[in-house]
Amino acid sequence: MPLQAEDKRMSMREAVAQFVKDGDTVYLGGFLHGEPHAAVHEIIRQGKRDLTISTGASTIFVDLLIGAGCVARLVTSYCWNPVPAPTYAFRRAVEKGVPRAIEIEEYSLLGLSLAYFAGALNLPFVATKTMLGSGFLEHRGFLGQSKCKVIASPFNGEKVCLIGPLRHDVGIAQVQRADKRGNGQCWGILGPTRYGLNSCSRVILCAEEVVDEEVVLHDPNRTIIPAYRVCAVVQEPWGSHPSYVQGCYDRDWRFTAEYARLTESLEGFKAFLEEWVLGVSDRGEYIRKIGRDRLEALRCKRRESSPVDYGSHSGF
Amino acid sequence: MEYTSTELLIITAGREIHDGEVVFVGTFWPLPASVFAKRAHAKGCTLIFEGGLVCDRAPLRMPLVASDPCLVASACMAGDVFDTLGGALHAGRVDVALLSSSSVDRFGNINTTCVGLYQRPQVRLAGSGGACDVGSLARRLVIVLKHDRRRFPQRAGYITTPGFLDGGSSREEAGLPSGTGPSAVVTTLGVFGFDSDSREMVLEGIHKGVRVEDVRNNVQWPLKVSDNLREIPPPTQEELRILREEVDPHGMFLRDARLG
Repeated sequence: MPLQAEDKRMSMREAVAQFVKDGDTVYLGGFLHGEPHAAVHEIIRQGKRDLTISTGASTIFVDLLIGAGCVARLVTSYCWNPVPAPTYAFRRAVEKGVPRAIEIEEYSLLGLSLAYFAGALNLPFVATKTMLGSGFLEHRGFLGQSKCKVIASPFNGEKVCLIGPLRHDVGIAQVQRADKRGNGQCWGILGPTRYGLNSCSRVILCAEEVVDEEVVLHDPNRTIIPAYRVCAVVQEPWGSHPSYVQGCYDRDWRFTAEYARLTESLEGFKAFLEEWVLGVSDRGEYIRKIGRDRLEALRCKRRESSPVDYGSHSGF
Repeated sequence: MEYTSTELLIITAGREIHDGEVVFVGTFWPLPASVFAKRAHAKGCTLIFEGGLVCDRAPLRMPLVASDPCLVASACMAGDVFDTLGGALHAGRVDVALLSSSSVDRFGNINTTCVGLYQRPQVRLAGSGGACDVGSLARRLVIVLKHDRRRFPQRAGYITTPGFLDGGSSREEAGLPSGTGPSAVVTTLGVFGFDSDSREMVLEGIHKGVRVEDVRNNVQWPLKVSDNLREIPPPTQEELRILREEVDPHGMFLRDARLG
């Protein structure tokens, strides 16, 4: 699909089949807020393999991918269940190589965000004072020396950490709204998503709602990725469940805690995967299985902002 | 007045925040501790959360994680990591930061990454998130954890969040900004500071009913004790009222109700 297309809407199945390839480096957007759970489930159903997954904070959506055997490498600052509880599939992979060993490249959250920033702007590196003295310098993964380097600043001689750029083949994010051309708008806690997404060659935008282009044109400050960077637009309401989307629905804490309890054993993980991912055909079926009552209880009460006035500024 | 060790931990940690300060709030214990400070003695403090929020009002309910959407309703700015970890923290504008930790060593180094070898750990833990950045760049760092001898090793097996590294001037030699680093470790037994030369952890305060021996037996190195060791004033009735009625009335942290 050309990036200039007027209408990039498609199903999640089509988007993942067309734009996520085995062996790709995949950036997953969100920061607890707006995690792309629906897209992750589809990646698992399509049996994608040898992916390098890159994301600011990994929670159970990354745990699922690892446990399903889709992941060869993980680039992140963190991997845990927000309950808090361990992400057990991640632990099994790192501690025991089950279902397969994974390589990890770890950063601090700011270090990783700066690597995304450098990737998004095509900067050769970014200089920072974080990560100095930490295990992130001492223990490197598959990026080796291209991850970061400590030098004396050419300006004042102080030690600085240079962080190299991270770029990705494909990026996927769940946002509140997008238009059919692929202008994506997000609000609330933005984490590192804006720069992560802008460091990707191809972007799949999953939106709670696809809105008229006029909605975007009347509030362009809220756009985190413009249409010319986006390949596919997937309308996927409840696409972050059991995580949350600001102004749409809250985290399903019960489900998140239940995930931890069930997946502590390998058998429990397999059963979860079968019941909630492999055994359902798409997000629509998942939502029906969760149940309308349970979802409605998660829906937020409205708390609208006052409209802002950008003005027309059309005269000379 | 009766209180639990959890209440004691949260209130003692909250007292490390002073009114008017810019506070970087980590996840878990720092959440109730900072909300307690904001509602008790530090109403003018600004709370910053790594995901992008700057809050100058107390949250409407107890946040369960540092990226809890309830915090947006008390935020005066909702941005991204470069507004918080960048413009606030890296720019040197954070007065005090609070972090939970699974363990802390003699020089205040935190390991939340692994037990055993990094490449093939016996137990793999969560990693850093923004903790490494916070420990590297905040002017004061308050580390909060329930006291257990296993959580106080002589030397961190992996430095997720740098404290004073090998002590002395090693933190500055590694390139971390001067005038930053751990200032206090708050536990269920007492409060520790750091010697200004050796940078080693020193017991500075003990909770009522705790003996110095109890603390010595619960760290894995020969513990130094301050000449001016003080008994920490127990939580007041008003502090307990604020914590129980205003900060965490549903017992999310006080009674682990968040686990359902």
